[in-house]
Amino acid sequence: MPTLNLPLTDTPSLLGGFDETLLESARKGEHALLQAKRTAAYDSYAQIPNPDRFHEEYRRMDPDLFKIATFSPLEIPETAAAYQAVPEDSNYDVVISVSSEGIAIEDCNGVLTDGSLVVMPLDQAAREHTTLLEQSLGAAMVPGEQRKFLDLNGAFWNVGFFIYAKKGVDLKGGILIRYHNDQAGTVLLPRLVVVAESLTRFAIAEQFTSPDDVKTLCISGRELLLDAAADVKLVSLQDWGNEGLHIGEDWARVKRDAKVNLFSMTVGGKVSKMTVGCDVCEPNANAYLGGMFFADRDQHFDQKTLQYHSSADTYSNMLYKGAVKDNGYSVYQGIIRALKNCVGVDSYQTNNNLVLDSTARADSLPGLIIDADELACSHGATFGNIDQEQLYYLRSRGIPEGEARRMLVMGFFDEVIERIPFENMQDHLHAVIERKFGV
Amino acid sequence: MPDFETDSNLVQEYKYGFFTDIETDTIPKGLNEEVIAIISAKKNEPVWMLEWRLKAFRRWQKMKNPDWAFLDMPEIDFQDIHYYSAPKEPVDMKEMDPELLKTFERLGIPMGERDALSGVAMDVVFDSVSVGTTHKELLEEQGIIFCSISEAIQKHPDLVKQYLGTVVPPGDNFYAALNSAVFTDGSFCYIPKGVTCPVELSTYFRINAADTGQFERTLIVCDDNATCSYLEGCTAPARDTNQLHAAVVEIVALENADVKYSTVQNWYAGDEEGKGGIYNFVTKRGHCRGRKSKISWTQVEVGAAITWKYPSCVLEGDGSVGEFYSVAFTNNHMQADTGTKMIHVGKNTSSTIISKGISAGYSSNNYRGLVKVVEGASNARNHSICDSLLIGRDCSANTFPYIESEDDSAHLAHEATTSTISEDQLFYLKSRGLSEEDAASMVVKGFCKDVFKKLPLEFSVEAIKLLEIKLEGSIG
Repeated sequence: MPTLNLPLTDTPSLLGGFDETLLESARKGEHALLQAKRTAAYDSYAQIPNPDRFHEEYRRMDPDLFKIATFSPLEIPETAAAYQAVPEDSNYDVVISVSSEGIAIEDCNGVLTDGSLVVMPLDQAAREHTTLLEQSLGAAMVPGEQRKFLDLNGAFWNVGFFIYAKKGVDLKGGILIRYHNDQAGTVLLPRLVVVAESLTRFAIAEQFTSPDDVKTLCISGRELLLDAAADVKLVSLQDWGNEGLHIGEDWARVKRDAKVNLFSMTVGGKVSKMTVGCDVCEPNANAYLGGMFFADRDQHFDQKTLQYHSSADTYSNMLYKGAVKDNGYSVYQGIIRALKNCVGVDSYQTNNNLVLDSTARADSLPGLIIDADELACSHGATFGNIDQEQLYYLRSRGIPEGEARRMLVMGFFDEVIERIPFENMQDHLHAVIERKFGV
Repeated sequence: MPDFETDSNLVQEYKYGFFTDIETDTIPKGLNEEVIAIISAKKNEPVWMLEWRLKAFRRWQKMKNPDWAFLDMPEIDFQDIHYYSAPKEPVDMKEMDPELLKTFERLGIPMGERDALSGVAMDVVFDSVSVGTTHKELLEEQGIIFCSISEAIQKHPDLVKQYLGTVVPPGDNFYAALNSAVFTDGSFCYIPKGVTCPVELSTYFRINAADTGQFERTLIVCDDNATCSYLEGCTAPARDTNQLHAAVVEIVALENADVKYSTVQNWYAGDEEGKGGIYNFVTKRGHCRGRKSKISWTQVEVGAAITWKYPSCVLEGDGSVGEFYSVAFTNNHMQADTGTKMIHVGKNTSSTIISKGISAGYSSNNYRGLVKVVEGASNARNHSICDSLLIGRDCSANTFPYIESEDDSAHLAHEATTSTISEDQLFYLKSRGLSEEDAASMVVKGFCKDVFKKLPLEFSVEAIKLLEIKLEGSIG
């Protein structure tokens, strides 16, 4: 059977300045484990051909839009950053802040003291949890997939965290990681490795911000490994300023009875390409992929999902909701893949799009690749504007048209937003929608 | 659990796999400008037609065989094909070669006066030439032109010049360019203004000679307020080498015209090992040029080793309607990458897609479709349903829809499901005394019902029978 991947190249194909010299400077003074991991990722990265707009995946998003060669890695000093106040209405247990001033890890509720939960930079983890990190860094990828940007991140990451929850940890408030990049012309390469032992339950939020009119690039890589009956939620909120560029790769491997929730919320920035994939690899593993994207004012967002069923009796559900207006352009591409003999798979994929005016454009490419019988895999995609009857109903109740439209869009997105485990983030997203409507 | 493993001993043999031994006029293998000139000369074509072919050929030489389809296929040697083969004796309906007549009788095709009442006007294409058209007089009374494309080039050059290549331009894709250079025969239909075609128009394609390619070219033009229904059937002998069928079908629907195009494709699909069979690489496209015009594609695909085709509609006229109903069945090592494209350009256009894929054995059955709404195509409507049914553990079913919306007033909905025959359904039917095979066959027929009911009656019966034959041995 033909594969969706391209043949690997013999000569290295490099993007921008991401070459061996930069690799050497990233490796310098590092723990041997991290050095080895970087080299392995670099070898794979150099072998994968450079994406161009003739590749199916990039046909609707030219990789040249990211102008990777014009960015240089962001310098993050070793000194602790000034602690940025956490929003008052939140109750995160751990807050990590990353900016050009440095890194700060704040343990708000003393959850890190007894050692059942580990939250630390990757270089510290390489020293203190060597074996575990060796097994988990770069291990969550779906087998057989070639992801150029994930490997690029693996070779060149300039800030990385390791979150490790020992058996039975149940975190109430969750972990927040905030990235703020205010240095024009720099690229942030964050890496996150999450290892959840059996019967753990916690949520992580990642928030990306930058000031308006500052050109920044971010190439992020996140990996989640869930052991039996773990329950992990990860929210990624891209709230960059108007010149932010982002390429993100999220991959999760989910074992028996475990459940992962991966949320990808893209509202800010200029161009964004997110890929979220999960491998439900043991019976009764379950994945939920939630997504929201709202592109306006020439924003161009591309979302790709992969629900990979490598075991019988696995479940996944996906709901991506998008809206476009004012020259916004959104692309959704998704695949459900069921391997041979994976019977009893139950998988669903939904993509709903609101095209709010005719300057905007939305594309949807849901897909099914099924090599087993005795299963149920479905997808659905819809396109449309706001329902005129609903609008009429609201107006008949005395609500002005503009507000009625906003309410309906809010309601449209709420199906995803209300599943996010952080209330302050829900409020924030509501505020963003209002902002996009000029309120 | 019901066991759906394919039992190769039970697989029904291909009923149309015979070969007719008649004297043929075949030109040597190979493809170059000289061969194209020979084809053109054999057809006694005017110079403009030869020039058109050569232009397409030069274009084709610069093109690359596309590789994006989800198909696993060996390289095709385009120099190892006979591009022209025809029965030697000039064929007259009344004194047709008895061998040939016997062939068509075995195929169950009405040919000749005894079938004058059967209500189908038939054009038959045998390898590279059309061997006869029935019901000519009845059609001429109404001013309908229904003849082979070679005849149309001779007799109606203005109409052909006006429409040929306007829906599928010669450089549209690799196989369309190849076809434009070397096409040999096919049908031409012209329905004049205001005429409702009184009978079904039909063409039967048969590949007979070995190592030949068949390059069919069909052009259907329905003028203002005209209506017609066109049927196409295809068979080929069983051989262990692959043969190429690269067709181009163009449909033009002018104002308020209504064209219905149905296909029952039953090319030889190769044996259980996947050896031999026809490569069916076809470009079919309809253009709704006029206001309120309608083009409806119905296809039942049960044959061919590899099928690669996307019957499409360009909905340019305001209020035009495109429809696509498809059943694609694959078994053994067959592969299909098929679907449709609906391009909404005019205002208030609507389209419907219902695609049912059934895979059995080791086959791979892919749906690939595009729904595109361009800016300014206000109030476009589309509803797509793509269902796949898997029978057996070694087959695969894939769905790749592409949906692009550039207009805020468009309403598009797509849904797809993939499943197997449910045990509940089987249990229920078996509890009523049906055998497992009958029960499964009934479920499959029910699965395809939405499409079968769109076929003209004669074809609907044939299609259901064909599917039953193909299913035998896949279940049980």
